[in-house]
Amino acid sequence: MPNEVTRRELMRSITAGGLFLAGTMTPLSSALAQTREAVRGPQKQTPVTRAPATLANEKVAQPARELSILRKTGVLVVGGGPAGTAAALSARRLGVDVTLVERYGYLGGLATGGLVLAIFPLYDKNNRQVILGIGEEMMQRLDKIKFGIIERGKAPVYPTVDAEAFKYVLAEMILEADIHPYLNCWGVDAIIDAQGAVSGAVFESKSGRQAIIADVVVDASGDGDIYAAAGAPFEKVIDSIGLVSRIGNVDIEDLSGENFEHQTGTRTQSKGARPTRGAPIPVLQGNVGSPTPAPGVNWLNMKGPVADALDVAEVSMLELRHRRALWNNLERARKRPGAENAFMAETAPQMGVRLSRLLDGVRKLTMKDAKAGTKFKDVIGYSGDYVTPAFQIPYSCLVPSKLENLLAAGRCVSADFELADTLRLIPICWVTGQAAGIAAAISIQDKCKPRQVDVAKLQRILRQQGAYLE
Amino acid sequence: MIAGRRLPRRMARLSVFVAASALFWPALPWAGALKFALLTSPFVAICSSVSLRHVGIGAAAGFAVALVVMFRRRWFCRYICPTGLLLEGAARIGFAKTSWWAKCPPLGGYAALLTFFGAIAGYPFLLWMDPLAIFSNFFTIRTAGTILSGFLAGLGLGILLLLSLTSGTFWCTRLCPLGGIQDLLASAISGLRKTGVVTAESKKKIMPMRRALLLGAAGIGIGLLAGRTGAARGENAPLRPPGAVAEDVFAGLCTRCGNCIRVCPSKIILPDLGQAGALGFLAPVISYEEKYCLEDCNDCVKVCPSGALQPLELEQKRRYVIGEALVDGALCFVTLAQKDCDACVAACPFDAVRIHWDEDLYAAYPLIDANRCNGCGACEAACPVDGYKAIRVWKPATDYAELR
Repeated sequence: MPNEVTRRELMRSITAGGLFLAGTMTPLSSALAQTREAVRGPQKQTPVTRAPATLANEKVAQPARELSILRKTGVLVVGGGPAGTAAALSARRLGVDVTLVERYGYLGGLATGGLVLAIFPLYDKNNRQVILGIGEEMMQRLDKIKFGIIERGKAPVYPTVDAEAFKYVLAEMILEADIHPYLNCWGVDAIIDAQGAVSGAVFESKSGRQAIIADVVVDASGDGDIYAAAGAPFEKVIDSIGLVSRIGNVDIEDLSGENFEHQTGTRTQSKGARPTRGAPIPVLQGNVGSPTPAPGVNWLNMKGPVADALDVAEVSMLELRHRRALWNNLERARKRPGAENAFMAETAPQMGVRLSRLLDGVRKLTMKDAKAGTKFKDVIGYSGDYVTPAFQIPYSCLVPSKLENLLAAGRCVSADFELADTLRLIPICWVTGQAAGIAAAISIQDKCKPRQVDVAKLQRILRQQGAYLE
Repeated sequence: MIAGRRLPRRMARLSVFVAASALFWPALPWAGALKFALLTSPFVAICSSVSLRHVGIGAAAGFAVALVVMFRRRWFCRYICPTGLLLEGAARIGFAKTSWWAKCPPLGGYAALLTFFGAIAGYPFLLWMDPLAIFSNFFTIRTAGTILSGFLAGLGLGILLLLSLTSGTFWCTRLCPLGGIQDLLASAISGLRKTGVVTAESKKKIMPMRRALLLGAAGIGIGLLAGRTGAARGENAPLRPPGAVAEDVFAGLCTRCGNCIRVCPSKIILPDLGQAGALGFLAPVISYEEKYCLEDCNDCVKVCPSGALQPLELEQKRRYVIGEALVDGALCFVTLAQKDCDACVAACPFDAVRIHWDEDLYAAYPLIDANRCNGCGACEAACPVDGYKAIRVWKPATDYAELR
């Protein structure tokens, strides 16, 4: 009997070793596969040892298991939204190996799949564009696409993009840059070394649970999933969660101002009349949102109720209720002149989660800083003018207070709740993403920890990449 | 002998003129200086005190001057009045050498008497004729945002200078209510000293008794009517600076000195060009374009000489309801689901605005807590809607300004 057990263990370790080999060979084999046409029909299965979770005494246990390594890379960017794509592209430009992992089947995150089409805020109070760099490059590519982007360079009016055009632009940029993308791949855990420093992340996909080993991880997951898993301290916050949609065949040009008179029973309220207290009447009529680059297609924002983005039961119910409400709104909107034949073009594939986790970083950027116009030595960019005048963003709010080899980018950076409400917006995610990507690459090249990155060098490369730091 | 007495008087007047200019500029860090400088006018001090049925500390200066002029005829004109100094100079270089108005009755005294009785009725309607207020308002040119408002600020003193150039000392001797009230006070005291009654017997024959009674009746009548007619009332009244007394008497009590307009750091106080009708012309109104009524400032209420803006402590001023913020959903980005925006929420110093999610309507919109909102306009100034703002401050539905 003991012999048998030993043999089984031996077999298991051999299989695991084989898996390890297979894992590392996957990129190579898939590259080979492209040259040979696949033949449809039954496939030979690679033997896999399964270790499913077990139920015993009302408790579910997950047996320890070794994971196959999908890839070894320099910079691993988790999340392919505005921050993640900016981070991947900027890091790759410094010549390091970059892997980009995205949960959905497209790139752009909330800017595309969330239908957050407003590129806002971009300008300071003098209508000067203060967010440039990679984000500006993306918009310049959209400029060349028919119906790709509108209201460009018309400050203070902000541009609006077409989600599909943006997905296409990002796909092109990532492919051109020779970045290794993994889509439909959900970052679920951090990998830490003996010293507790991050050395990669674990993913779930149709290929199962796999690991990517990396020198530096950029957590652009939006929810800070990787730093939270690695044990970095953070602040959990909740905010409104809505669901944006697009309505087609809408012919209402001017939605506000003098042309917007709405009937409320016997009374017509128009611009300049004293509004009533409490609930506004026009929402009862059905909203039609505002124009997008696509002709006759409007996008309709939704604030939504405050909900916990990290609670699967809550967000599941919410998403269904949101979709139902969007159809109810459409029914009402069809009663408005110009929207009689409106149709639901799209409800966003992703709900609009605004904020969930905020990192405890080396510096917590606060609303007070922004209002006071605090200048930072480690400035990496600006936010445009919104609830505060355009303010500086320091590198130190991307760096965890203790955790090594990880940088946060996007809406999960280190800031107080009030200011995070601005930092979460698309152009500012570009700013933090680009800086995190460059810093990660520098830390590899200079063989230092991300927190030790030479800030002057970071700023120099940011400028070389077209970012605005003045 | 005479020349020897004139020199120190000229020096005194010149120094008062310089001091007054510095005060009204205002060049001193003490905001109250503007108020007390103007309250040396017995016309303003007496009429505003009567009108408010309240004598403030500041009015003491005016009452003291009143006491002096009872025994020293036109002492204020001769030693203090900076407007008078300017006008005398203008009259001297002016081209009118004949006094065509020599037979003109003392209209300034009539004006003072009318206003005094108007004050008894609660509406001292000619207070704006005070020469110190006119002098003070001249300095509002300095902060005027537009050519029109600069022109209007200088209009009063301009007219007086023009009058002096063409007609000599017509204003000072016949029209000025501050001069008139001095004559009335002096004649009253001399009349009392001689006969115990105000009669026409005094040497200057300031006013026959019957005319005084008629003017008094007219003053009370006008005072009672004025508040109830001209000015726009209720919800249609313009927004007034914090501390403003009830709208029906505000335009009467306001001297149009421009003090509040000049000291406002946000430059949101503007002269009214007709919002409150003809009677409210040039009285201060509030307009929120880019800035708002700061939560840590009560400068305007410190400088009002007549009490049209009541002197509120900072804490009281924060609770004074200038108006209430209301949202026009048809213009609001959030309500129309056009984009995310919480500019008004972030701007409100009193946490009075929040974006409310209405589960029944399945929509979000800004909701204002009327118990917290004092109408400071921070939301209106911050609202990013182009042109006509979606959130605006409206006059409270109640007719009377009140402290909460």
